[in-house]
Amino acid sequence: MIRSRNRFCYLMVAPTLILVVALGIYPMLDTLRLSFLEYNLLRIAKHGTPFVGFKNFDTIFHNPMFMQTLFNTLAFSVLIVIGVTVLGLLIAMFMNLEIIGRNFLRSLFLVPWVTPPVVGAAIWLQLCSTTMSPINHLLKLLGIIDGNVRFLTDVRTLGPLSIPFLVIAAVRIWHGLPFTSVMLLAGLQSISDDLYEAAEIDGASTLGKFRFVTLPMLRDVLLVTMTLLFISTIGHFATVYVMTAGGPNNLTNILGVYAYTQAFVFYHFDIGAATSSIILVLTGTVAAIYVYLQSRMAAIEAG
Amino acid sequence: MKAQPTPSSLGASRLSRQVRRLKLTAWRVAVVAFVTAALVYVLFPFYWMLKSSFQTNVEVVASPPIWLPRTLSLEGYVLATRFIPFAQYVGNSLIVSLVTTVVCCLFASMSGYVLSRFRFPGASLILGVILFAQLVPGTTRIFPVYFLIQRLGLLNTYLGLIIAFVGFSLPYATLMLQGYLRTSCPMELEEAAMIDGCNWFTAFLRIVLPISAPGITAISFFAFLGAWNDFLWSSLLSTVGDLRTIQVGLRFFMGEQGGGGGSQVNAFMAACVMTMIPGLVLFRLGQRYIVRGISAGAMKG
Repeated sequence: MIRSRNRFCYLMVAPTLILVVALGIYPMLDTLRLSFLEYNLLRIAKHGTPFVGFKNFDTIFHNPMFMQTLFNTLAFSVLIVIGVTVLGLLIAMFMNLEIIGRNFLRSLFLVPWVTPPVVGAAIWLQLCSTTMSPINHLLKLLGIIDGNVRFLTDVRTLGPLSIPFLVIAAVRIWHGLPFTSVMLLAGLQSISDDLYEAAEIDGASTLGKFRFVTLPMLRDVLLVTMTLLFISTIGHFATVYVMTAGGPNNLTNILGVYAYTQAFVFYHFDIGAATSSIILVLTGTVAAIYVYLQSRMAAIEAG
Repeated sequence: MKAQPTPSSLGASRLSRQVRRLKLTAWRVAVVAFVTAALVYVLFPFYWMLKSSFQTNVEVVASPPIWLPRTLSLEGYVLATRFIPFAQYVGNSLIVSLVTTVVCCLFASMSGYVLSRFRFPGASLILGVILFAQLVPGTTRIFPVYFLIQRLGLLNTYLGLIIAFVGFSLPYATLMLQGYLRTSCPMELEEAAMIDGCNWFTAFLRIVLPISAPGITAISFFAFLGAWNDFLWSSLLSTVGDLRTIQVGLRFFMGEQGGGGGSQVNAFMAACVMTMIPGLVLFRLGQRYIVRGISAGAMKG
């Protein structure tokens, strides 16, 4: 009985497992393999794809454009994770309040989530165009600025920051808010009111209640959301590619866009694969830790 | 003996009540200010898109920009379908997204079911593999998948796109369904069916599938939207004119016609509005399921 049941299980899982390994796991490993070869489409006819060891990694780590891209990616991640988490938490707390029209307001906040990245990027391109931007218009009307802010073309930098960098971060935060708010809202709603009442009896202020009830109870959900955010921001592609393709002057370039352009614009699939491998190492380690912790928790639950 | 309120204690409590009321008002102002700012941040782009789609192009590209349309016109919508083969692109996206959704529902329900119910050897390893594949971003896989699809001769075909889309949607669908079935469906019904003579598979078809309908609805939304909204894989695998998905088509519109740079912007905005319709419709229909799906992910962690 058990053996026929197990056979049934394997059969049922087989299609999914085969597809996931063939289209998910194996390509990840293959990316690593490709990064150790020379794979230049312009030379492949004569030279093939010889094994070159760590040469591709050596190339990229000595390339200032790549290093800037790597730095941008990490800087974006930190900024976006913090931005989305803080704003998302505030929005979630608001969505948790018992007010009229709560459901309607909630659905309003979720609209960016169903927006295709291309559409979002396109609209923000309009909003950030130097001459036609309503934001510039408003700022000038309010007397805050005199000339147009060149949102996506201003190449002045203050350390790692530049206006295009901040603009792209704002757009990416905008896109990530809904999903995180919903997750944090679920976490908030699981905190029992008794805990807040107990804190009030103990004399806690509003801020105190937040520090000593809300945050500790949200710790697990916060960890999950921030992990997911981190992973997805490291491997991001669509919005940046459509809005700036990494420019101007490489100021908004990220690993995903760099890999894509190296391969499909310059035909350097080896550099592209090496870059993808960096993404894999960064996100794969975090993902592996996450999976391990999840399975340990599940094992504890199962007893 | 009851304590009588003295004049001084009355004064003190009145003062603290006033302070409390002031604090409440200050908080309330802050909350309203924040929520208004957040709503503007979140929704203003959509207002601009809608407004631009109903203006004449002359108004849209005006500098300084025109905030309220002076003349309403459908010029954008008419032109959108002429600048790019809009219907063709939408058709491509529809076909590929629908097939992806069906395949995902089928395979995810099969594997989600057994992974949620039965402790068979290797089950947790399989779950771990699926979770890992779901977490790691697609940009780590683009080249090998590109070469694979190319070698299979499936570049610029519906099948190639479907394969890629199923690849990135299936893990999430399986995990969501597995979580849903684990928490919401008791095993008694299947056991009763099996006593009545069903084998495992018929029990699955007749009992489990109908019960898991809400979960399957949820993953259909995610699978369809994921495929409809995708840009990375569609721009990778389907670049030749006719087979473009609408997202790649929009990008093409931007580049060729300078939709981002100022040519036929109202038409481009109209195309964007139309592209958002399936997402909004599905969202309206399935908001409950979508939110539940995301929340379930939050609680599992």
